[in-house]
Amino acid sequence: MTAPFVFSQNVSLFIAVVLGFFFGLFLERGGLGNPHKLTGVFYLTDFTVPKVMFSAIVVAGAGLYLMSDLKLLDMNRIWIVPTFFWPQIAGGALFGVGFVLSGYCPGTAVAGFASGRLDALVTMVGIGAGSFVFAVLYPYVENFYRSSAMEGATLPKILNMNHWFVIIFLIIFAIAMFYVMEKYEKKN
Amino acid sequence: MVKSNFWSPYAAGIGLGITLLMTFYIAGWGLGASSAFSLLAGVGVKDISPEYAKTLKYFSQYLNVESPIMNWVLFEVGGLFLGALAGALLSRNFKLKFDKGNSMKTRTRLLTAFTGGILIGFASRLARGCTSGVALSGGAQLAVSGWIFVIAMFVGGYIAAFLFRRLWS
Repeated sequence: MTAPFVFSQNVSLFIAVVLGFFFGLFLERGGLGNPHKLTGVFYLTDFTVPKVMFSAIVVAGAGLYLMSDLKLLDMNRIWIVPTFFWPQIAGGALFGVGFVLSGYCPGTAVAGFASGRLDALVTMVGIGAGSFVFAVLYPYVENFYRSSAMEGATLPKILNMNHWFVIIFLIIFAIAMFYVMEKYEKKN
Repeated sequence: MVKSNFWSPYAAGIGLGITLLMTFYIAGWGLGASSAFSLLAGVGVKDISPEYAKTLKYFSQYLNVESPIMNWVLFEVGGLFLGALAGALLSRNFKLKFDKGNSMKTRTRLLTAFTGGILIGFASRLARGCTSGVALSGGAQLAVSGWIFVIAMFVGGYIAAFLFRRLWS
């Protein structure tokens, strides 16, 4: 039996809590429960967000494709986050505005609230309200929501490249970005 | 101002990456967050008015199952809360407060925290996830979705930071 695995509902939900625990622990310990650190990247005062985010993406990405190449995991059974080009461009841009205004994103709002921040609870209520607004307006946005579908498109597939070219490019890009950020933070 | 007992962001990022990798390996999908809020909004509407909830086609994906709250992402977000709480308590970083920008009035903060949340909630549904489910999980899969979301998010964020220059600085 190769990974990923199939479990009963109770076991699956227990695993969700355990994985979520480490997710929250690393977010909080990385400083991502703190809205001053979270918004710092947009005001060029603190680069914690891209440092944590790109370290995590590079580790998980290289690990995922390595496990697949070593046949430790069946990539065909991994649910690839589907692409809907224009809705995700519009959603991403709107999300960035909400991120700067509130100082949080959904996961980090929960981490902020868990570290005692009541403003994060206000944002959490807002996120629920925004989801409700989407559900109410869904008949009007459904066509756009379903447009420009590219299903499980990945960069190696659309660029017709070996995945390791993309991963090595990302690693070099991340290290160069970290280097510039460290230099910049020392100077200011 | 910013407490410095946090871990190195690279160490936290590597830990987060290993957690995400384990999630791919064990479950076959990535980490999420925003859909837990959407699910709870749907369940809340159904509790208040089951008739009205039935008219909301988007929420049917959550409500047309045997027990809506037995949901993987909801439990994962519950774990997220416990993990962050443990981290904050063990490092003595836990403090009840209403956090805001240095020159921000409490009323302004209430408004920005809530309206920012509404934008995030709406945008996450449109993009099919947030920084966790699309940017982090999709980004690591080298999915096109993850990378276009990351780029668009930074563009939107820098425009907002430019327009609201004094909000957090």
